[in-house]
Amino acid sequence: MSTQSLYLIFFGGLLPLMYFGYILGRNKAITIRTKGIKMHSQPDQYGWFSALYTGLPVMTVGVVGVFSYLFGFDGIPPFMLIVTALSLGALSLFLISKKMNEHTRARNLVEEFIKGILMMAAFISILTTFGILISIITEAIHFFQRESFWGFIFGTTWDPDTAFLAGAGRGGEDVAEAKFGAIPIFAGTFYITAIAMLVAVPIGLLSAIYLSEYATTKTRDRVKPALEVLAGIPTVVYGFFAAITVAPLFVDLFEAFGIQASYRSALGAGVVMGIMIIPIIASLSDDVIKSVPNNIRNGSLALGMNKAETIKFVVLPSAMPGIIAAVLLGISRALGETMIVVMAAGLRPNLTWNPLEDMTTVTVKIVESLVGDQEFNSSLTLSAFALGLVLFVVTLVINIISITIIRKFHKKYKVSNL
Amino acid sequence: MSKIDKNNGFYIPQLEKRRAKAKRFKYIAMSALIVSLAFLMFFLYDMFRQGIPAFKQTYVKIQVEITEENLENPYGFLDRDMISIVSRAWLRDLPNQAAANPEWLGTTQEFWALAGAESDQYMKGGENRLKDRVKDRIDELKESGDIRFQTNLIFFFTGDSKIPENAGFYSAIIGSILTMLVTMSLAVPIGIMTAIYLEEFAPDNKLTQFIEVNINNLAAIPSILFGLLGLAIFINFFGVPRSSALVGGMTLALMSLPIIIVSSKAALKSVPNTIRQAGFGLGLTRWQIVRDHVLPPAMPGMLTGSIIALAQAMGETAPLIIVGMIAFVPDAATNILSAATVMPAQIYTWSGMPEKAYIEKTAAGILVLLSVLITLNAVAIYLRKKYTKTW
Amino acid sequence: MKFWKKAVVSTIVAAAVVTAAQARDQIRIVGSSTVYPFASYVAEEFGVTTGNKTPVIESTGSGGGMKIFCSGNGLDTPDFTNASRPMKPSEFADCQKNGVKNITGMVVGYDGISIAQSNENKEMKLTKEQIFLALAEEVPSKDGKSLIKNPYKKWSDIDPSLPNREIRMIGAPTTSGTRDAFDEMVMEKASKSFPVYGGEYKKVRTDGAYIPGGENDNLIVQQLAQDKSAMGYFGYSFLEENHNKISGVSIDGVMPTADTIADGSYPVARSLFVYMKNDHIKDVKGMKEFANLFMSESMIGSKGVLKTIGLIPLPEKMRKKARESVKNLTPLTKEMVDKHTVLPVK
Repeated sequence: MSTQSLYLIFFGGLLPLMYFGYILGRNKAITIRTKGIKMHSQPDQYGWFSALYTGLPVMTVGVVGVFSYLFGFDGIPPFMLIVTALSLGALSLFLISKKMNEHTRARNLVEEFIKGILMMAAFISILTTFGILISIITEAIHFFQRESFWGFIFGTTWDPDTAFLAGAGRGGEDVAEAKFGAIPIFAGTFYITAIAMLVAVPIGLLSAIYLSEYATTKTRDRVKPALEVLAGIPTVVYGFFAAITVAPLFVDLFEAFGIQASYRSALGAGVVMGIMIIPIIASLSDDVIKSVPNNIRNGSLALGMNKAETIKFVVLPSAMPGIIAAVLLGISRALGETMIVVMAAGLRPNLTWNPLEDMTTVTVKIVESLVGDQEFNSSLTLSAFALGLVLFVVTLVINIISITIIRKFHKKYKVSNL
Repeated sequence: MSKIDKNNGFYIPQLEKRRAKAKRFKYIAMSALIVSLAFLMFFLYDMFRQGIPAFKQTYVKIQVEITEENLENPYGFLDRDMISIVSRAWLRDLPNQAAANPEWLGTTQEFWALAGAESDQYMKGGENRLKDRVKDRIDELKESGDIRFQTNLIFFFTGDSKIPENAGFYSAIIGSILTMLVTMSLAVPIGIMTAIYLEEFAPDNKLTQFIEVNINNLAAIPSILFGLLGLAIFINFFGVPRSSALVGGMTLALMSLPIIIVSSKAALKSVPNTIRQAGFGLGLTRWQIVRDHVLPPAMPGMLTGSIIALAQAMGETAPLIIVGMIAFVPDAATNILSAATVMPAQIYTWSGMPEKAYIEKTAAGILVLLSVLITLNAVAIYLRKKYTKTW
Repeated sequence: MKFWKKAVVSTIVAAAVVTAAQARDQIRIVGSSTVYPFASYVAEEFGVTTGNKTPVIESTGSGGGMKIFCSGNGLDTPDFTNASRPMKPSEFADCQKNGVKNITGMVVGYDGISIAQSNENKEMKLTKEQIFLALAEEVPSKDGKSLIKNPYKKWSDIDPSLPNREIRMIGAPTTSGTRDAFDEMVMEKASKSFPVYGGEYKKVRTDGAYIPGGENDNLIVQQLAQDKSAMGYFGYSFLEENHNKISGVSIDGVMPTADTIADGSYPVARSLFVYMKNDHIKDVKGMKEFANLFMSESMIGSKGVLKTIGLIPLPEKMRKKARESVKNLTPLTKEMVDKHTVLPVK
């Protein structure tokens, strides 16, 4: 019997059964009520109670069955399983319709059921959270069992070539030892992020100020969506833009001043990344500035400050925690960005202050070590998880900071939009 | 602002300076906004400039004598100039066409045949590798009206191809739709239910706060790590077929889940507590309050968040590389288990092709993807605008 | 009604998962990104002309492909894997261990790795040793007795007859098969001619003269077109396709062209392979036809279509032998693997 028809039987049995349960429960409740007996809940709630608790055993058996097949227990034929499930459902329907009376707390029971379902959903979400954390940590531990932890954190040479050769099956005993010093990679990451923020923060913040304080409602309503379009552009597209349009532009520009720039420069990648982050900062800061209560502004204006002064000395300070949170969000986006850097900043770990040279970031190294030709359990592949773990910790710290700031902000002003 | 009267008794010399400063500040802010909008315009212009030519395609008129022999070897009957003008993809398909129209046999048929990518590039004035002889022939054909542009329907109605003029976006569009259906049907309900539980039902203790921090943080971790989780759990553990819309959709669902949870929580938070207290006062249960009085006003906010999360998932490439969706898939997927590719993956694949004709295809693909994303964002913005309530 | 929706959805997903591992009518292929364009072309041709479903091809890299291919013999594993190098003994052993015992190897053609530069430069002639001296981390000192850190900044520093141009080479990243092949065929070979190295080539320099590009060879081509002073190396098909922007650099006096690669005179060329899982033939529709189409004259022949997209055809005699071997489904043996071939060893 094909799987499709099995599912057809399952749902063909389950849904009418539950519908029947609803009608039965509701009708019984109505009958009792017409007798003039006071009931705990409304007839509808008895109907729902009856339907849900008829379906519960059927679904439980079904889900358990599916999972047991996934894990390879196929002792019971699926058809039998479905029959068992449906007859269990019928049994519970029978029991419910028999035992249900005016004392049954249908409303509370339905409530419990729904709470259970919601809890399950939350459980799944939380499971994925920890799933990622656990899978990253386990693999990172594997990595640190092979390579030194301190060498990773404080080493200044990232040179896994030989690990790759070993992974590809050509490593001899005489080849140089692979070095996994992550400092140049993290330096590159923070450097490019810093360039991006130098572009994004002033432009984004000033745009937000103009939008929320000066622009007419009409302008704001039109411009804000346009800015958000910028945020929706896939990063692959930005990457090509950076490599094909922006990078040659910078090279020509610096050549005019007699400075030699690389075609894959941290500057090009950083600037395009900044463009990508502008709308995030602008949009969020705009919301925050808008939410600063008007009486604060009026107070300042009444004291003789002009509009710009009001913004600078009164509105911005009170919106500052929210703005900082927006900036921090932008930073975590920049830290996690991949495609732009792959295409425009290069793959070479390079420890330098010169923004016109090529450098690389953590995410690029993660992608590179996961999609290559080498074996999965080589040190190079595992290094992706170690890098990922550090990146995870960094973003975690940033987030904790921003949440703490927002919490403080709440207490102080009791206004929020975040 | 009116002019300052210097004879005014309250006149302070500083005032003018302050006013000038204020004005400057306004203009700086304005120019910042203009700069960011200029970026957007430049960007879109660049894409349009490169992508628009892909929407038209060169066709050439040829006459074919339909004989058994010609159908046996469809590459043999054209002269050596024409063979480099007409697309190989068209010739390859000729026997199939003839089989579908048996009455053609023995007659001479006239066709507008698809032209090859090189001739197409020549017609559009782009770089090409045609020999001068062939170029002259095309010029002749142009004069006699036997070669012309038609709307490029192939781009929308066929899948990927290694022959550039025959390559289309169809299988990627279908793949994206299927993948998004999977993502949507998993991430939206689970995300919204999680948000409801965390915001309305869960006790506010250290554990909940910890979970909240964690979910916020998930929204910021590099998307490729989700791909890795997808590989480990769905493919290696559950045995879901590689490169299927199902595995791609589930992986993207993992990615959008935190975004949906965070925005839904924000939407629920924005419903004032007084409403809940009024509900309790009337003796409603928590679920009744949530269902009838909290969810309706929060719904637009939740939808907006979900749409934005899905739009982001739709443009995502990195995690899909890991689960095998960067593949050559010329046939559109028929169900969520067959191999599929998605729009950004197709763009990524084309961008790596050596043939120049793929560059305009890449840009055209980007235009299609962008218009879908912009539409989604527009819907989200519309919903937000229409239903936002100030309490 | 959220509950209903969720119930239905989650069950459909579960249903889909359960139906996953059933028989197929679509061929699945994984493996090398170098063979990928050729295999895709054949796959498309196969789909259009035979009416079978077009095979699905994933570009996973040679090593990655072998790993998936050898992971088991079930129908949930791929039917073919592409490789830009012959199967290694360790991979063969892995295959055997996991029950993949009946494999047929197909050698489909050659691929050259070409060094190229922008058209606006003068023609350049290099030897392997010069390339080595330009790119190695450590080079022999002037007296040839010890190894020193690579001091060369310009090509003219290595040999006065070379142009006074900065050494900048854009190449494949460490994880790519192209890089692996380049290291093996140029760097390791050249290191043998410097006795002080003792045949132990170590690594490429990391001070900026060697620039690892992305996996995307097109981007390297575009950068070469813009950056006149740089050179780059990549698969020959990209040079072939972009003759108007870039031109080849000769190595040991031989220019990379289709002919020099085919007759073996160009030193940086490798054979391309496809491996087939014979046990799948009975369950997967069209596998044999696909293999035969791939090996046919109209595909890999000297006038075949794959030549137009950069595959260098095998010599005629070898083509015949390879075709015969695939037709007979000659099983791959340990002996053949050890000899780095897929054809029967006499």
